[in-house]
Amino acid sequence: MMKAVSLELYKLRHKRLFLMVILFLTVEIIWTFMAVSVSISRNSDYARWEFVIAILSSMNGLFFPILAAICVSRICDMEHKGNTWKLLLTVSVRHSMLYVAKYISASIIMLGVCIMQGIAIIAFGMVNEFGQPVPFMLLIRFLAGTVLTNMTIIGLQQWVAMAVKNQAFAVSLGMAGGFIGLAADLLPGAVRRFFVWSYYTGLSPVTQNYANEKVQLIVEDVNALLPAMVGLIVAGIAIFLAGNIHVSRQEI
Amino acid sequence: MLRRCIVAEWMKLRRSHVWMILMILPVISVMVGTANFYMNQGVLKKEWYSLWSQVGLFYGEFFLPILIAILSAYVCRLEHLNKNWNMIMTSPVSAAGIFLAKWIVVGVMLAFVQIFFFILYFLGGKLAGLTSSLPEELTGWFFRGWIAALTISTVQLALSMRIRSFALPVGIGLCSVFLDLGMYVANLGMFFPHSLLAIGMGVLSQTGLTSGENVLFIIMNLLYSVAVSTGAIHGMTKSDAVA
Repeated sequence: MMKAVSLELYKLRHKRLFLMVILFLTVEIIWTFMAVSVSISRNSDYARWEFVIAILSSMNGLFFPILAAICVSRICDMEHKGNTWKLLLTVSVRHSMLYVAKYISASIIMLGVCIMQGIAIIAFGMVNEFGQPVPFMLLIRFLAGTVLTNMTIIGLQQWVAMAVKNQAFAVSLGMAGGFIGLAADLLPGAVRRFFVWSYYTGLSPVTQNYANEKVQLIVEDVNALLPAMVGLIVAGIAIFLAGNIHVSRQEI
Repeated sequence: MLRRCIVAEWMKLRRSHVWMILMILPVISVMVGTANFYMNQGVLKKEWYSLWSQVGLFYGEFFLPILIAILSAYVCRLEHLNKNWNMIMTSPVSAAGIFLAKWIVVGVMLAFVQIFFFILYFLGGKLAGLTSSLPEELTGWFFRGWIAALTISTVQLALSMRIRSFALPVGIGLCSVFLDLGMYVANLGMFFPHSLLAIGMGVLSQTGLTSGENVLFIIMNLLYSVAVSTGAIHGMTKSDAVA
C-alpha cells in the first residue's frame, strides 16, 4: 500500500499540483487576513483567535470543495488522459488498491493544506499581537473538523472523477459544493446536515451569531459537535466504500 | 470555413450532457439568493435591487467565471484526447477558424446561461412577492455581463488550449476571481478581465455606468478579446501542437 501511495505522489512531481495548491491557499489566506485586518482596524475587539478561526471556516466552505475537486480531478484525470488504467491493472495491483492509494494521496495533499493554514493562523495572530496565548486546543479542533470534512468530500469527488471520464462533471460538482459550503449557514439546520460541504462551518469550534447588528463569537463545546462528527465519519466511510465498490466493478 | 468549424464544434457537444452543467449554477444561485432575500425582507428593502444583490453576487462574482472556465476547458477537452490536436491542426481549416469557432460556441452557451439566469431572477422575484417594475438597469447588466463573459472566455480558451489538464485552467480561473476582487476594490477593475464582469453585471454596486464608463467598458473588453485571441491564434500557428 505504501508503495502504491508513494508512486501516486511520484506521478504528481512534475504536474505543478503542489504549486497550484500553495498558490490557491495563499490567495485564500491573503483574502481572509485582509478581511480580518479591516475588521480589527474598525473594532479592536475582533483581535482574537476565535474571530480568525470563524472567518477562515467560512472561507474554507467556499475554497476547499473547489480545491479538493481540482486536486482529485488531476490525480484521476492523468490515468484517463494517458489511458493507463489497463496498464496499471496489469502490474498486479487491484483496482480497489489503486482507489485507496489515490484517495490517500489526495488526502495527504489536503492535510498539508490544512497544516499550512494552521501555521498561517498562528503567524497572523503573533504579528497582530493578539492578547491571548496561542489556543492550540481550538486550533486542533478546527483542523480536525476541516480534515474530516475534506476527507469526506475527497471520497465523493474521487467517486465522480473515476466513474465519469469527463472531468467537467467532477469539477462542476466541486463548484456546486463550494456554493453550498458558502451558503450553508443560510439553510435550516435540518437541511444543512445532508450537505457534506456544510461541515466546514458545521464542525468549526467557533460559530458566529449576529445579534443587534453585532457579531458574537461562540466557542462550541466538544460534546455538542460530536454527533455531527460521528455522522460525518459514517457518511464518509459509506461514500468511500460505495465509490470503491462501484468503480472497482466498472469495466475499463 | 468558420461556419463548418462551428458546426463541427456543435457536433462534438451532442449528447455531452453539457446542459446539466449550464443549468445547475443559475438554479442554485437563484434558489439560495431568493430564499435569503425572502427571509430577510425586513433588512433588504430595495425590492428587485436587493434581490439582485443576493442572487447576482455569488453568480456574477464567483460562479459565472468558474462556469466560463469549465465551458472553455470542455470545448478543448476532446482535442487533448487521443492526439486530436495533431489531427485538427492538419485539417484544412485555419487556426483562427478553430479558435473562433470554439469561442463562438462558448459565447452561445454563455448567452443561454445568462438568459436562463435572468428568467430565474424574474421568477424568483415574483415568487418572493415583488410587485414593482423590473430595474431599468437589467438590460445593461445582461448585455454587459455577456460581453465581459466573452472576454473572460478568450482568456480561458487560450489557457485551456495550451494546458492539457482539465482542472488546472479552472483553478487558474478561480484564482483570477480573487485577483479581480482586489483590482475592483483598488478601483482598477476596468483593467482586469474578471473585474469587468463584476462591473458589467453590477454585482457589487447596482448603480448603472455613465456613458463614459460604458464606452471605456466596451473598449477594454474589445482590447482584451482582440489581444488575447490574436496571441492564442499566433501561438497555435507558430508553436508545435502538443498532443
